[in-house]
Amino acid sequence: MIDAPYRGAEVGERTKIEVVDLSVRYGSSVVLRGVNLRIRERSIHAIIGPAGSGKTSLLRTLNLLAIEVDGARVDGAVTLDGKHLLLGEVPLAQLRRRVGMVFASPQPLPRSIYENLVFGPRLAGVRKRVDLDALVESSLRQAQLWDEVKDRLDVSALKLSGGQQQRLCIARALALQPEVLLLDEPCSGLDPISTLKIEEALTELSERITIVLVTNNTKQAARVGDRVAFFLLGEMVEDAPADRLFTAPSDPRTNDYLSGRFG
Amino acid sequence: MSTTSPSLGRMSPPLVAPRVTQIVAKTLLWAATALTVGVLVFIVAFVLRRGLPYVTGDFLTEAPRDMGRAGGILPMIVGTLYVTAVAVAVATPLGLGTAIYLTEYTRGGFLTRVVRFGAECLAGVPSIIFGLFGFVFFVITLGMGWSVLAGGLTLAFMILPTVIRTAEEAVKSVPPQYREVAYTLGASKWQAIVKVVLPSALPGILTGIILGIGRSLSETAAVIFTAGSSLKMPVSLFDPARTMSVHFYLLAREGISMPKAYATAAVLVLAILVINATAYGLMHRFMKRFS
Ligand SMILES: Nc1ncnc2c1ncn2[C@@H]1O[C@H](COP(=O)(O)OP(=O)(O)OP(=O)(O)O)[C@@H](O)[C@H]1O
Ligand SMILES: [Mg+2]
Repeated sequence: MIDAPYRGAEVGERTKIEVVDLSVRYGSSVVLRGVNLRIRERSIHAIIGPAGSGKTSLLRTLNLLAIEVDGARVDGAVTLDGKHLLLGEVPLAQLRRRVGMVFASPQPLPRSIYENLVFGPRLAGVRKRVDLDALVESSLRQAQLWDEVKDRLDVSALKLSGGQQQRLCIARALALQPEVLLLDEPCSGLDPISTLKIEEALTELSERITIVLVTNNTKQAARVGDRVAFFLLGEMVEDAPADRLFTAPSDPRTNDYLSGRFG
Repeated sequence: MSTTSPSLGRMSPPLVAPRVTQIVAKTLLWAATALTVGVLVFIVAFVLRRGLPYVTGDFLTEAPRDMGRAGGILPMIVGTLYVTAVAVAVATPLGLGTAIYLTEYTRGGFLTRVVRFGAECLAGVPSIIFGLFGFVFFVITLGMGWSVLAGGLTLAFMILPTVIRTAEEAVKSVPPQYREVAYTLGASKWQAIVKVVLPSALPGILTGIILGIGRSLSETAAVIFTAGSSLKMPVSLFDPARTMSVHFYLLAREGISMPKAYATAAVLVLAILVINATAYGLMHRFMKRFS
């Protein structure tokens, strides 16, 4: 069923993000209930599940976007390095800088490639041109985009292809030197080559930063995930090392999903 | 047309061939456009033909003499620009602030609707009523007298609804994703508005301001009661001033000098054309830079 090789399971054991008994509601509809999840530092934690299972809602709760923008009601606890996010123990701007996010569809801002990349650092107070230039280059390299755009950083970001735009968005998040990167189906709608480039970038990044990758591509989860969590109808059904979840799922619903019986 | 069921293949053929309909529609649309442009060109040409021959260097740089029968219109040019500048300087921050508040800080509630309704009503109020209000409120009650300030403030309230509405539409049309991107990059709500929303909305906002400038430059009724009709050069904000359109009105109305009246009108029309062209040029350059 899964032909990709698994990544080793010996990943860092230190907890970066801990989600305890989390429930998320929009008005009267409960979209996540009783979710417990431990995200280990410097690993790729893939999240899979059918449409509407609450993956995006979980991701947007981790950086509190769900509360600020969507007006969600959130109960339970979410900690980043032991600090309670729902209690406001990490200031919002600081949280967003430490926990970067990439959306499902590429979202370049209507300005040059360079200006997209320095947007975050400038807000964070980086002023010197040399520092900004260095951040631009290193983040573009990490997102495997440098060679393609290094000669046209002044060009509008909207002129890039979809795959390049998505890597630009990853680079833009990386320019803030985050500790965690949240990605919401970053490869949906991209061609296999762009997907491969992004997966390579993520695998390399996971040596330094913690990655939470929502994907509706089970094979992608198998290729890059250290651990994989399966969500269904707002519940976390199973969370296990990738090799175990794909070869010997402990919950029959996981098995059903993986063998294509629903979703 | 027939009343049989419109199942494919059994429909009766249309009375007129689609190609003919197409041609007729295109011709009618073309005619409407041609008529609009034609009327516009005619008015502008009419004014320029009668006025331009009298527009000389002296006309633009001299003060009027003998009630405007002789001399130029320099004080009127200055007065017009002065009053318009005050109007725009007041209406822009007020209108933009209101628009941002309504779109970003209220969730389309009761207040939004009340303010929007008020603005709409205000937009429909004839300018002479604004003149009357300005006269009673600014000139008399606040004791500003006939002045650039009273005229500018009156015009500011007159163009405010336009500025608010256009700015609101412009701010609302900025994709919500831009804001979210800004948040995820560490921006506060205010920073997201200033750094992302406003630059994207700027062309729309400027359109409203340009419309406001056009109305201010050409307004007569609202300023004659508030800025006055003094022929002297306005220097301070508290000096009375006569705008070009008021000057034209008085010259024509009192039969003082039709050539001078048309010359004034020609300058006014040209000024509006130049200001609009410049503004749209700037906007275009800005938009190119941001997309
Ligand atoms: N802003 C919102 N307001 C109200 N309901 C919402 C909102 N966002 C999401 N929902 C609801 O929450 C549920 C979970 O949505 P979510 O986007 O988290 O699912 P998902 O797992 O990301 O799905 P997909 O794979 O299609 O992206 C859905 O039923 C959706 O309708
Ligand atoms: Mg989703």
